[in-house]
Parts: sequence; structure tokens; C-alpha cells
Amino acid sequence: MTFQKDPELNETKQLQHFTDFTGKRVLEIGCGEGRLTWRYAAKPAITIAIDPDRRDALRVATIDRPSDMEEKVYFSNALAEHLPFPNESFDLVLLAWSF
Amino acid sequence: MVHALDEIRRVLVTDGILIDLRPLENQWRVEVFSARETRQTGAMADLPAGLEDDHAANQAMAEGERNGWFFREKEELLSIHYIWDTASEMEEWIDAEWEGFVGLGEETRRATRSTWALGDADSRVRVEVKVLITRWKKL
Repeated sequence: MTFQKDPELNETKQLQHFTDFTGKRVLEIGCGEGRLTWRYAAKPAITIAIDPDRRDALRVATIDRPSDMEEKVYFSNALAEHLPFPNESFDLVLLAWSF
Repeated sequence: MVHALDEIRRVLVTDGILIDLRPLENQWRVEVFSARETRQTGAMADLPAGLEDDHAANQAMAEGERNGWFFREKEELLSIHYIWDTASEMEEWIDAEWEGFVGLGEETRRATRSTWALGDADSRVRVEVKVLITRWKKL
């Protein structure tokens, strides 16, 4: 099956228009397999992407992680209701199709 | 959802930014398109569970605003396309992935199959999904 989601990249363009990711500490909630993550992940200082991982998505996301992003993009199994991070540890939170 | 927002507020620095990106049910257009033409064959049916999700998300964000947690800086509605090679592939995908949230009525199924089958050799099928993007600043 050939399936494409947003081949025009409208979502990515609008996301970049709405915020500057450069140098930021980013938390992405609901990353799934990292579809959106890879569209901005080159810019932040660090990205932590979380997902409840009901479909083994994080394994796929980690496999797809480019080698030059191993030190700056991390995936973790977590829920938005219980974020396993200290207070004030991110500059930007991205709710990716999560609510 | 409000508890999640409170958690987000906790981990964000002061003046930190929250970007909320989510689909918004709105009878998404179903189309058969080719290089030569585009024909609308129907619309997705908004289902109660999906509408309730949208409502709950809107309520949670409104409560976050009322509580003085976040300030809404900017909001826009954009369109993104989901594209399949054939009508049957679209039906199979939607039935599996969107079950319970948005539906594909019989009339739209029939019209899409027929329009695709009789269309140009390069005809494909797409749904135009509406996505709401909002930029919030932590107060």
C-alpha cells in the first residue's frame, strides 16, 4: 500500500513558522514513530520525544534515528500526565496530535 | 488533560512555549485527483467520540488559560493531505486507523470507488485533514 501523509509538508512549514527551534531544549509529547520529530530535530540543542508506545512505535523511531542525532534526540516511554523530568527543564513543549 | 497541562507547565521554563498541534474534525473533504483534475467525492463523517475529544481538548486549553498558566499567542487552521493510490487502500486504512473517531459513509465510499475507477490513469485518492496549531506562552 502506498500511503503519504502531508507530502506538501504544510504541517512542517507551519510549525517552523510558529516557533524557532534553534538551540532550544524541546520535549515532544506523542511522538509515535518520530514522523514529526525528524522534521525539526536538527535545530534544537536537545530533543526528548515521549509516547505511551502502545504500538512499539519508539523502537521504530530509535531505529530510524540518524547517527548524527544520537547525542541530541532521545525517545522515551512516558505519559503526559506524569512527566519524568525536573521542573523548568524545557524551553519548548510540542504536543503532537496528543490532545 | 488538565493534569497533563499542569505537568507541561511544571517542566517549562517561565516564558517557555507550548505548541499544540492537533487534528480538528470538520467533515474533511474526500477527493479523487490527478494531474488534470480534482473531484470531491464526499466528506468524512464526524463521529461523537472524535467530537468529544476535540471538545475535551478545547476545554482543557481554556481551563489552562483561565488558570493563568498559559497565554494564547497565535492560532491557525491548516490543511494537510492523506493520500492513497486507490480507493480501496484509503478505505482499508481509514477503517483501521480512524475507527470510532471519523467515519466513511457508504455514499462517499461508492462515489470515491466509482470516480477513481473511471478516472485518469494517474488518479489517486486523498482526504484533506484540518489541523489546528496554537502557540501558547507559559506565564
